[in-house]
This record gives sequence, C-alpha cells and structure tokens, in this order.
Amino acid sequence: MKSRIDAELPFYFGPGRELFGFYHPAAAVAGAAVLLCPPLGVEQIRCHRLYRQLAHGLAESGLPVLRFDYFGTGDSAGESRELAWPRCLADVATAAAELRTRHGGSRVLAFGARLGANAALAASASARLDGVVAWDAITDGDALVRQYDRMQDALKVDLNRFEHARPELDVSTQWPGFERNERLHEQLEGLRLIDPGMASAWLSSALTDEASRPDEGHAGRRICVDVSPRWDDIDCLELAILSHPLLDAAKRLLKEMA
Amino acid sequence: MHEQAFRFGKARHLVGVVGLPAVIDHGVGVIFLNAGMVYRVGPFRLHVELSRRLNAMGYPTLRFDLSTIGDSGASGQRLSRPDQVVADVREAMELLKQQSGCTRFVLFGLCSGAQNAHSAAHVDPRVVGALFLDGYGHRTLGQRLRHYLPRLLDTSAWRRLLARRRASAAPRPAEPLFVVEPLPPKVVREQLAEMLQRGLKLDFVYSGGVSRYFNHIRQFRECFGRLADHPGISASFFKDADHTYVLTGDRQRLLDHVTQWMGRHFPVTRPGT
Repeated sequence: MKSRIDAELPFYFGPGRELFGFYHPAAAVAGAAVLLCPPLGVEQIRCHRLYRQLAHGLAESGLPVLRFDYFGTGDSAGESRELAWPRCLADVATAAAELRTRHGGSRVLAFGARLGANAALAASASARLDGVVAWDAITDGDALVRQYDRMQDALKVDLNRFEHARPELDVSTQWPGFERNERLHEQLEGLRLIDPGMASAWLSSALTDEASRPDEGHAGRRICVDVSPRWDDIDCLELAILSHPLLDAAKRLLKEMA
Repeated sequence: MHEQAFRFGKARHLVGVVGLPAVIDHGVGVIFLNAGMVYRVGPFRLHVELSRRLNAMGYPTLRFDLSTIGDSGASGQRLSRPDQVVADVREAMELLKQQSGCTRFVLFGLCSGAQNAHSAAHVDPRVVGALFLDGYGHRTLGQRLRHYLPRLLDTSAWRRLLARRRASAAPRPAEPLFVVEPLPPKVVREQLAEMLQRGLKLDFVYSGGVSRYFNHIRQFRECFGRLADHPGISASFFKDADHTYVLTGDRQRLLDHVTQWMGRHFPVTRPGT
C-alpha cells in the first residue's frame, strides 16, 4: 500500500507546463485508464477529497487515474477570472493525452461531476474518450447561471456568514468564492448537455437542483445515488462532499466500461 | 509561472507546491498551512492567489497538505497530532530550503492553520514570522458587552433569533470544520512572549466571521495585555469580511494587507519579477 501511494505523483504538464495533475498508477494495469474531470469553482474544492478517494479506489482495482485542474483553477496556472469553457475542453484533451502517455494504453474513460461531466462529454471526441460517467451533469446552463447569480446575491446578506449584511456591494462579476469574466457567463448560459452517443452513464443525486435536473433524453438512463451535495445551498460552500454510495456507483460503472 | 509540485518528507507522505520568484534573494520563504480540512489551495483558492502574489514580490512559497489532509498521507510515525503537525512543518521548511536556499520562514495559517502555525513557530527557531488569521483570542468582558448589548435593544435581532429557533427544527448541514481548539489564554500569552523575545514578527488578523469570540480591535489588548505594545506584534480587524473571505474584494484587501506586512518586516532586496 505504502509503495503505491509513494508512486502517486503530483506534477505539472501540458505545452507550457501550466496544468497541475496527480497521477495514480495501478498495481496491475487492466487495459484502461480513467481521467477525473473536476467541476468548477467552489464545487471543485468541495469534491477534492471525493476525487482523491475515487482515484485510490480505481487504482487499487487496476485502473490508473489522472486527476487534474483546468487552467485558472486549483493548482494550475492562471487566475480564476481567466477561466474559459473552450480552454476547459482543450485541457480535457491535453490531460487525456498525458494519461495515455503515462499508462501506455489507449483506452481512456472519464468521470466528471457537474461541469466536469459536461466537459468530459463535450471533449470526448477531441480527447478520444471511450466512455464517460457523469454525475449531476448540467442539463440547463441558463439555470446554472441563474443559480450562481442567486447564490452570490444571497451571500451578501447571509448573517450566518457576515456580522453585517452587505447589500451595497457590487458583486456582479463574482460567483460564489470566485471572480469570473463576462465571457464565461455567456459560455455557460448557452450550455446544454451533449450526449455523444458513446458509452455513458448518468449518476444523479437523490435531490437534484434546477441546473442538473435530468432531461427527457437521460431520465430513463438515470441511476439515482443516495447523496445530497446541495450544490445550490450557500450554507454548504465550505462543506466537503463525501459519499460512499457515489464512490461505489462510479467505481462499478467505470469498471464495467473498462 | 515557476511552480513545481512535490511529494516530500522522510516518509514521502506530504504533497505540496513550491512557487519560486525569478530571482531569489535568500531572504525568507513563506509556508501556507491548511485552513481546517480545506486542501492546500486554501478557501476559495486564497493560498494560490497569495502565494503567486508573494512570488511576484520575490518570496519563495510552499503551500502543502499536512499529514492525512488534502493529498497527503499518513507519516507512519506514532506521533500525537500536534507533534505530527510540527514534524510536517519542519519537513516543509526543509523542502523549501532545498528548492530556494531560504533558511528563515514565515508561516501563514487561517483558523486551525493559525493554531498549527503558532505551535510550529513556538518550537522552531527557523520560523521568524507568522500571520495568524482568526487565530488565538478569547472572549472578554468587552467582547460580551459589545456582542450582547446591541442585540438586547434590537428588535430585528430578536426576530432573527426566533426565526432561527424555528428553522432549527429542519435538518441543517453540519458546521464547517473550522474550529480552533484553544490553548488556555495564559499559555498562549506565555508562548507569544517567548516568540517575541526571540525576535519573531507576528501579525494577527481577525475577521467579522468570528465575532462569537472577537469583535473589536480593542479586544486584542484585552486578550494579550502589554504584549499588544510590543513592536514585533500587530493586529487588524477586518470587520466586514467573513471567516473564509468568500467575497473577492475582501480577499484582495487581505492580500494587500499581507503583502504590505511582508514588505515592511521582511523586505526583498531584489524583487522577483
């Protein structure tokens, strides 16, 4: 166990070494590898431990894993206000290529939560992904933008957080915890869920928010998981998401696809 | 960007990111400790933003995860948690020294990170400064008067309290894990006095998010007495900000404060970029 953890490697990669990655080699490679595509903003921080646990579990069962941060997020280069959706998709492809190089095989599966799922699905062709497991993928970009705006407005007058409400502040260029640019606002507003027709599975939390409510096309294939991340609740901004049912479901589906 | 990721420590159980300025003047390096259970990027990426700003000013930095937090594993040693934290910080200083040549260090910690920074600063002579965000402090008579008196006379506060009582029947998420287990005030004062005697520069920053135990800059003197007059110690109260600096404007004001404090106490002779 110790030697495997010892072999886990944090590193920077990509053309300008701007992307942070964390590679989890598998004890015995079973032919496929898994790319974990993170969600964005505060959701990325909330999911960090869950992604780490998932990476450990997959590596133990023979699937090497690469976790990574998009440009402008986590430990990657760039400021939060530079975050752009097309760059996220390009980063998925860059990370998939890095994973192929490291594990030496060709089959790459992906897992993503929220916008991480959308990124994996939208970049599946350029990243040459062979299957995607999506958890609470965004089905309605307009609803997501409204949700982030609403949460940001609610934050200013949250007396559980502030001693005094701050309604006078202009926070129109922020989403919870992060500065964002107008371009990202527009890019996410028009976002719809892409089903590339490849092997895919749709995990859905017990209570879904407006932005990730399953649409007609996916409702029938939805696998409900007993987890309540409360993506739209400002009381949960600093709460890590931990869920064994979610981990079990994601691992099972990815192993089936492998 | 001159950042490099490392797995380090004798047991290679720790994970961190070193940030280097283009030119290093072998002054001080800055080490970031976890804020509660948040991994090394800090709440809302605070540690990333601040470390890069410090790199631009010429300071090497290391943001890392303590044992069993974030991406770091267990050390395998049988140490108490406080001893393990000090051991981890020592490993972090060793890494930053190897990478930058720095032999003196400033620690930065928010909440339990401040508590851990306090412990490490107290025992390790290589620590020459520390920034404690919502760190040690204790309730005083003044704090209680300032907290309760206005509320007694405020009808809207009573309404909010009653509404909260009613709402408490509904399930609420667990509180964030940002609780500092306090040392007794007398011990904190003695340890701070020892640090100041050793020449450490110490900065305390309190936010409005911890008004349950700190709600006015005057309280710093109420807590620490004559220590508050020592030229090596300073305190600020960011009354408007919340505990984790969720609004970017508040975060920028904090970053400005920290960089000015660093420049004042540990000036860089050859700026980084």
